[in-house]
Amino acid sequence: MSGYWPWWAGAAGLALITVNYALTTERSFGVSSAWDRVLHWRRERRLEQMDEEFTDERALADALAAATAEHFGTGLTAPAVPPAPYGTSRSPLETDVDPTVREDAQVGSPGPAPLVTQAALLVSIFFGGLIAAVTSGRFHLRFDMGPGFRNVVTANPTTMVILLFAGGVLVGFGTRLAGGCSSGHGLNGCGRLRPVSLVATAVFFGTAVAVSFLLWKVI
Amino acid sequence: MRTRGAILLANIITGLALGYTVSNIGFGDYTELNRMFTFQDLRMLLSFAGAVLIIVCAFALLRVRRTPGRIHAGVIPGAVLFGTGWAISGGCPAIPIVQVAGGYLPALVTIVGVAVGIRLCRWANARYFHLDRGSCGL
Repeated sequence: MSGYWPWWAGAAGLALITVNYALTTERSFGVSSAWDRVLHWRRERRLEQMDEEFTDERALADALAAATAEHFGTGLTAPAVPPAPYGTSRSPLETDVDPTVREDAQVGSPGPAPLVTQAALLVSIFFGGLIAAVTSGRFHLRFDMGPGFRNVVTANPTTMVILLFAGGVLVGFGTRLAGGCSSGHGLNGCGRLRPVSLVATAVFFGTAVAVSFLLWKVI
Repeated sequence: MRTRGAILLANIITGLALGYTVSNIGFGDYTELNRMFTFQDLRMLLSFAGAVLIIVCAFALLRVRRTPGRIHAGVIPGAVLFGTGWAISGGCPAIPIVQVAGGYLPALVTIVGVAVGIRLCRWANARYFHLDRGSCGL
Protein backbone atom coordinates (compact mmCIF):
# COMPACT_ATOMS: atom_id res chain seq x y z
CA MET A 1 0.00 0.00 0.00
CA SER A 2 2.58 2.56 1.05
CA GLY A 3 6.05 1.17 0.46
CA TYR A 4 6.56 -0.29 3.90
CA TRP A 5 8.87 -3.26 4.39
CA PRO A 6 7.51 -6.81 3.93
CA TRP A 7 6.94 -8.69 7.18
CA TRP A 8 10.07 -10.84 6.92
CA ALA A 9 12.34 -7.80 6.50
CA GLY A 10 10.75 -6.14 9.53
CA ALA A 11 11.13 -9.32 11.59
CA ALA A 12 14.77 -9.72 10.59
CA GLY A 13 15.50 -6.04 11.34
CA LEU A 14 13.92 -6.05 14.81
CA ALA A 15 15.55 -9.36 15.70
CA LEU A 16 19.00 -8.21 14.52
CA ILE A 17 18.76 -5.02 16.62
CA THR A 18 17.70 -6.91 19.75
CA VAL A 19 20.24 -9.73 19.47
CA ASN A 20 23.08 -7.34 18.58
CA TYR A 21 22.33 -5.15 21.61
CA ALA A 22 22.23 -8.15 23.94
CA LEU A 23 25.53 -9.49 22.63
CA THR A 24 27.45 -6.20 22.62
CA THR A 25 26.26 -4.79 25.94
CA GLU A 26 25.16 -7.92 27.83
CA ARG A 27 21.97 -6.02 28.64
CA SER A 28 18.44 -5.62 27.30
CA PHE A 29 17.13 -2.33 26.02
CA GLY A 30 13.77 -0.88 26.90
CA VAL A 31 12.47 2.42 25.63
CA SER A 32 10.03 3.04 28.51
CA SER A 33 12.83 2.36 30.97
CA ALA A 34 15.07 4.82 29.10
CA TRP A 35 12.32 7.44 29.25
CA ASP A 36 11.84 6.81 32.96
CA ARG A 37 15.50 7.22 33.77
CA VAL A 38 15.98 10.29 31.58
CA LEU A 39 12.90 11.99 33.04
CA HIS A 40 14.23 11.36 36.56
CA TRP A 41 17.79 12.24 35.62
CA ARG A 42 18.65 14.09 38.83
CA ARG A 43 17.90 11.09 41.03
CA GLU A 44 19.48 8.66 38.55
CA ARG A 45 22.64 10.78 38.34
CA ARG A 46 22.89 10.87 42.12
CA LEU A 47 22.56 7.07 42.27
CA GLU A 48 25.23 6.67 39.61
CA GLN A 49 27.61 8.89 41.59
CA MET A 50 26.95 6.82 44.72
CA ASP A 51 27.64 3.63 42.78
CA GLU A 52 30.92 5.09 41.49
CA GLU A 53 31.99 6.05 45.02
CA PHE A 54 31.14 2.59 46.25
CA THR A 55 33.16 1.05 43.43
CA ASP A 56 36.14 3.21 44.42
CA GLU A 57 35.81 2.18 48.06
CA ARG A 58 35.66 -1.47 47.09
CA ALA A 59 38.78 -1.13 44.95
CA LEU A 60 40.58 0.53 47.89
CA ALA A 61 39.47 -2.24 50.26
CA ASP A 62 40.68 -4.90 47.81
CA ALA A 63 44.07 -3.18 47.53
CA LEU A 64 44.39 -2.95 51.34
CA ALA A 65 43.45 -6.61 51.68
CA ALA A 66 46.08 -7.59 49.11
CA ALA A 67 48.75 -5.48 50.84
CA THR A 68 47.83 -6.96 54.23
CA ALA A 69 48.06 -10.48 52.87
CA GLU A 70 51.44 -9.72 51.30
CA HIS A 71 52.83 -8.22 54.52
CA PHE A 72 51.45 -10.64 57.09
CA GLY A 73 50.88 -13.69 54.95
CA THR A 74 47.68 -15.24 53.76
CA GLY A 75 46.69 -16.56 57.21
CA LEU A 76 45.12 -13.23 57.95
CA THR A 77 42.06 -12.32 56.09
CA ALA A 78 40.70 -8.87 55.63
CA PRO A 79 37.22 -8.15 54.47
CA ALA A 80 37.44 -7.78 50.72
CA VAL A 81 34.22 -5.91 50.36
CA PRO A 82 33.06 -3.24 52.79
CA PRO A 83 29.43 -2.91 53.60
CA ALA A 84 27.50 -0.65 51.30
CA PRO A 85 27.60 2.94 52.48
CA TYR A 86 24.38 4.18 53.97
CA GLY A 87 21.95 5.24 51.30
CA THR A 88 23.60 3.61 48.31
CA SER A 89 21.23 0.71 48.02
CA ARG A 90 18.30 1.57 45.80
CA SER A 91 14.95 1.11 47.46
CA PRO A 92 12.11 -0.53 45.55
CA LEU A 93 10.66 2.89 44.93
CA GLU A 94 13.84 4.27 43.43
CA THR A 95 14.89 1.47 41.17
CA ASP A 96 13.51 -0.60 38.38
CA VAL A 97 15.27 -3.77 39.42
CA ASP A 98 13.05 -6.36 40.98
CA PRO A 99 14.47 -8.56 43.74
CA THR A 100 14.93 -11.57 41.52
CA VAL A 101 16.92 -9.57 39.01
CA ARG A 102 18.95 -8.05 41.81
CA GLU A 103 19.88 -11.50 43.06
CA ASP A 104 20.92 -12.37 39.56
CA ALA A 105 22.95 -9.18 39.35
CA GLN A 106 25.03 -10.33 42.27
CA VAL A 107 26.38 -13.24 40.30
CA GLY A 108 27.92 -11.23 37.53
CA SER A 109 25.29 -9.46 35.47
CA PRO A 110 25.97 -5.83 34.59
CA GLY A 111 24.04 -3.04 36.24
CA PRO A 112 21.84 -0.50 34.51
CA ALA A 113 23.27 1.19 31.44
CA PRO A 114 24.72 4.65 32.17
CA LEU A 115 22.14 7.43 32.10
CA VAL A 116 23.73 9.26 29.18
CA THR A 117 23.44 6.16 27.02
CA GLN A 118 19.70 6.05 27.67
CA ALA A 119 19.33 9.66 26.54
CA ALA A 120 21.40 8.82 23.47
CA LEU A 121 19.06 5.91 22.69
CA LEU A 122 16.01 8.19 22.65
CA VAL A 123 17.69 10.89 20.55
CA SER A 124 19.00 8.27 18.11
CA ILE A 125 15.51 6.82 17.64
CA PHE A 126 14.42 10.27 16.44
CA PHE A 127 17.26 10.52 13.91
CA GLY A 128 16.73 6.93 12.74
CA GLY A 129 13.06 7.70 12.14
CA LEU A 130 13.95 10.96 10.40
CA ILE A 131 16.40 9.21 8.04
CA ALA A 132 13.79 6.56 7.23
CA ALA A 133 11.04 9.13 6.58
CA VAL A 134 13.23 11.35 4.39
CA THR A 135 14.86 8.58 2.36
CA SER A 136 11.53 6.83 1.74
CA GLY A 137 9.79 10.05 0.72
CA ARG A 138 7.22 9.77 3.52
CA PHE A 139 8.32 12.90 5.38
CA HIS A 140 5.58 15.55 5.42
CA LEU A 141 5.11 18.14 8.14
CA ARG A 142 1.48 17.90 9.17
CA PHE A 143 -0.81 18.97 11.96
CA ASP A 144 -2.96 15.84 12.00
CA MET A 145 -2.26 12.13 12.62
CA GLY A 146 -3.25 10.96 9.16
CA PRO A 147 -6.39 9.53 7.55
CA GLY A 148 -6.52 6.47 9.81
CA PHE A 149 -6.72 8.51 12.99
CA ARG A 150 -9.21 10.91 11.35
CA ASN A 151 -11.51 8.10 10.24
CA VAL A 152 -11.23 5.74 13.21
CA VAL A 153 -10.75 8.06 16.19
CA THR A 154 -11.62 11.69 15.52
CA ALA A 155 -11.34 14.45 12.94
CA ASN A 156 -11.77 17.22 15.49
CA PRO A 157 -8.38 18.86 16.26
CA THR A 158 -9.22 19.66 19.89
CA THR A 159 -10.49 16.15 20.58
CA MET A 160 -7.40 14.78 18.82
CA VAL A 161 -5.07 16.71 21.15
CA ILE A 162 -7.01 15.58 24.22
CA LEU A 163 -7.02 11.93 23.12
CA LEU A 164 -3.33 11.95 22.19
CA PHE A 165 -2.44 13.40 25.58
CA ALA A 166 -4.70 10.94 27.42
CA GLY A 167 -3.35 8.04 25.36
CA GLY A 168 0.20 9.15 26.09
CA VAL A 169 -0.48 9.30 29.82
CA LEU A 170 -1.94 5.77 29.72
CA VAL A 171 1.10 4.54 27.78
CA GLY A 172 3.59 6.17 30.14
CA PHE A 173 1.80 5.12 33.32
CA GLY A 174 0.97 1.64 32.06
CA THR A 175 4.41 0.75 30.75
CA ARG A 176 6.10 1.75 33.98
CA LEU A 177 3.51 0.00 36.12
CA ALA A 178 3.87 -3.16 34.03
CA GLY A 179 7.67 -2.83 34.10
CA GLY A 180 8.17 -2.67 30.34
CA CYS A 181 6.83 -1.86 26.90
CA SER A 182 6.75 -3.44 23.47
CA SER A 183 10.54 -3.33 23.15
CA GLY A 184 11.43 -4.38 26.70
CA HIS A 185 8.71 -6.94 27.41
CA GLY A 186 7.76 -7.62 23.78
CA LEU A 187 11.11 -8.16 22.10
CA ASN A 188 13.71 -8.58 24.84
CA GLY A 189 11.53 -10.24 27.48
CA CYS A 190 9.57 -12.57 25.19
CA GLY A 191 12.81 -13.35 23.37
CA ARG A 192 14.16 -14.61 26.70
CA LEU A 193 10.85 -16.41 27.41
CA ARG A 194 10.41 -14.54 30.68
CA PRO A 195 6.97 -15.42 32.08
CA VAL A 196 6.32 -11.84 33.21
CA SER A 197 7.04 -10.53 29.71
CA LEU A 198 4.89 -13.20 28.03
CA VAL A 199 1.97 -12.30 30.31
CA ALA A 200 2.45 -8.53 29.92
CA THR A 201 2.76 -8.76 26.12
CA ALA A 202 -0.34 -10.96 25.81
CA VAL A 203 -2.34 -8.55 27.98
CA PHE A 204 -1.26 -5.28 26.36
CA PHE A 205 -1.62 -6.68 22.88
CA GLY A 206 -5.01 -8.23 23.65
CA THR A 207 -6.22 -4.96 25.17
CA ALA A 208 -5.01 -2.97 22.17
CA VAL A 209 -6.89 -5.38 19.87
CA ALA A 210 -10.11 -5.02 21.90
CA VAL A 211 -9.89 -1.21 22.07
CA SER A 212 -9.05 -0.98 18.35
CA PHE A 213 -12.10 -3.07 17.46
CA LEU A 214 -14.22 -0.83 19.68
CA LEU A 215 -12.88 2.28 17.95
CA TRP A 216 -13.33 0.73 14.51
CA LYS A 217 -16.73 -0.95 14.82
CA VAL A 218 -18.52 0.70 17.73
CA ILE A 219 -17.34 4.24 18.43
CA MET B 1 32.07 -4.59 25.24
CA ARG B 2 31.39 -3.01 28.62
CA THR B 3 33.09 0.37 28.73
CA ARG B 4 30.94 3.45 29.02
CA GLY B 5 31.94 4.60 25.52
CA ALA B 6 31.18 1.22 24.00
CA ILE B 7 27.76 1.08 25.64
CA LEU B 8 27.08 4.63 24.44
CA LEU B 9 28.03 3.64 20.89
CA ALA B 10 25.83 0.53 21.08
CA ASN B 11 22.88 2.64 22.23
CA ILE B 12 23.37 5.16 19.43
CA ILE B 13 23.53 2.41 16.81
CA THR B 14 20.55 0.63 18.34
CA GLY B 15 18.52 3.85 18.49
CA LEU B 16 19.26 4.73 14.88
CA ALA B 17 18.51 1.20 13.69
CA LEU B 18 15.35 0.95 15.79
CA GLY B 19 13.98 4.29 14.59
CA TYR B 20 14.81 3.43 10.98
CA THR B 21 13.33 -0.08 11.17
CA VAL B 22 10.19 0.81 13.11
CA SER B 23 9.46 3.67 10.72
CA ASN B 24 9.95 1.48 7.65
CA ILE B 25 7.75 -1.28 9.07
CA GLY B 26 4.98 1.29 9.51
CA PHE B 27 4.49 1.39 13.29
CA GLY B 28 4.40 5.19 13.14
CA ASP B 29 1.41 5.16 10.77
CA TYR B 30 -1.87 5.06 12.71
CA THR B 31 -3.71 3.54 9.72
CA GLU B 32 -1.27 0.62 9.56
CA LEU B 33 -1.37 0.17 13.33
CA ASN B 34 -5.16 0.02 13.45
CA ARG B 35 -5.18 -2.44 10.54
CA MET B 36 -2.78 -4.64 12.53
CA PHE B 37 -4.82 -4.53 15.75
CA THR B 38 -8.06 -5.29 13.88
CA PHE B 39 -6.40 -8.08 11.85
CA GLN B 40 -7.20 -6.43 8.53
CA ASP B 41 -3.51 -6.66 7.62
CA LEU B 42 -1.20 -9.18 9.29
CA ARG B 43 2.05 -7.75 7.89
CA MET B 44 3.11 -5.79 11.00
CA LEU B 45 1.84 -8.50 13.34
CA LEU B 46 3.98 -11.05 11.49
CA SER B 47 6.96 -8.67 11.67
CA PHE B 48 6.67 -8.49 15.45
CA ALA B 49 5.91 -12.17 15.99
CA GLY B 50 8.59 -13.21 13.51
CA ALA B 51 11.13 -11.03 15.31
CA VAL B 52 10.27 -12.63 18.66
CA LEU B 53 10.61 -16.11 17.14
CA ILE B 54 14.03 -15.31 15.66
CA ILE B 55 15.18 -13.75 18.96
CA VAL B 56 14.06 -16.81 20.96
CA CYS B 57 16.03 -19.11 18.62
CA ALA B 58 19.09 -16.81 18.57
CA PHE B 59 19.19 -16.41 22.35
CA ALA B 60 18.85 -20.17 22.79
CA LEU B 61 21.62 -20.89 20.29
CA LEU B 62 23.93 -18.22 21.71
CA ARG B 63 23.08 -19.19 25.29
CA VAL B 64 22.24 -15.61 26.22
CA ARG B 65 21.66 -15.18 29.93
CA ARG B 66 17.98 -15.53 30.89
CA THR B 67 17.01 -13.04 33.58
CA PRO B 68 14.26 -14.11 35.94
CA GLY B 69 11.16 -12.00 36.31
CA ARG B 70 8.39 -11.87 38.84
CA ILE B 71 4.74 -11.31 37.88
CA HIS B 72 3.90 -8.60 40.42
CA ALA B 73 0.56 -6.92 41.06
CA GLY B 74 1.24 -4.08 38.61
CA VAL B 75 1.89 -6.19 35.50
CA ILE B 76 -1.66 -6.88 34.33
CA PRO B 77 -3.24 -3.49 35.24
CA GLY B 78 -0.23 -1.73 33.72
CA ALA B 79 -0.43 -3.79 30.53
CA VAL B 80 -4.18 -3.04 30.23
CA LEU B 81 -3.52 0.71 30.55
CA PHE B 82 -0.65 0.51 28.07
CA GLY B 83 -2.70 -1.44 25.52
CA THR B 84 -5.56 1.05 25.79
CA GLY B 85 -3.24 4.03 25.37
CA TRP B 86 -1.42 2.38 22.44
CA ALA B 87 -4.69 1.73 20.59
CA ILE B 88 -5.95 5.28 21.16
CA SER B 89 -2.82 7.33 20.53
CA GLY B 90 -0.98 4.95 18.21
CA GLY B 91 2.16 5.24 20.27
CA CYS B 92 4.16 2.95 22.51
CA PRO B 93 7.05 4.86 24.13
CA ALA B 94 9.28 4.77 21.01
CA ILE B 95 6.61 5.37 18.38
CA PRO B 96 5.71 9.02 19.12
CA ILE B 97 9.39 9.88 18.60
CA VAL B 98 9.29 8.17 15.22
CA GLN B 99 6.00 9.89 14.39
CA VAL B 100 7.45 13.34 15.12
CA ALA B 101 10.49 12.42 13.04
CA GLY B 102 8.12 11.54 10.19
CA GLY B 103 6.44 14.96 10.39
CA TYR B 104 3.39 14.12 12.55
CA LEU B 105 3.65 17.18 14.81
CA PRO B 106 0.64 16.31 17.05
CA ALA B 107 2.66 13.33 18.29
CA LEU B 108 4.55 15.89 20.39
CA VAL B 109 1.41 15.93 22.55
CA THR B 110 1.67 12.14 22.90
CA ILE B 111 5.29 12.52 24.03
CA VAL B 112 4.25 15.05 26.68
CA GLY B 113 1.52 12.63 27.78
CA VAL B 114 4.01 9.74 28.02
CA ALA B 115 6.35 11.90 30.12
CA VAL B 116 3.50 12.93 32.44
CA GLY B 117 2.35 9.30 32.76
CA ILE B 118 5.83 8.04 33.61
CA ARG B 119 6.36 10.71 36.27
CA LEU B 120 2.86 10.09 37.60
CA CYS B 121 3.52 6.36 37.88
CA ARG B 122 6.70 6.85 39.90
CA TRP B 123 4.92 9.30 42.18
CA ALA B 124 1.87 7.04 42.61
CA ASN B 125 4.06 4.02 43.21
CA ALA B 126 6.05 5.78 45.89
CA ARG B 127 2.92 7.10 47.58
CA TYR B 128 0.35 4.33 47.15
CA PHE B 129 1.39 1.13 45.34
CA HIS B 130 4.85 0.40 46.76
CA LEU B 131 5.51 -2.10 43.99
CA ASP B 132 8.95 -3.33 43.04
CA ARG B 133 8.09 -3.22 39.37
CA GLY B 134 11.09 -4.69 37.62
CA SER B 135 12.31 -3.31 34.35
CA CYS B 136 12.63 -4.17 30.75
CA GLY B 137 15.72 -2.04 30.45
CA LEU B 138 18.25 -4.11 32.36
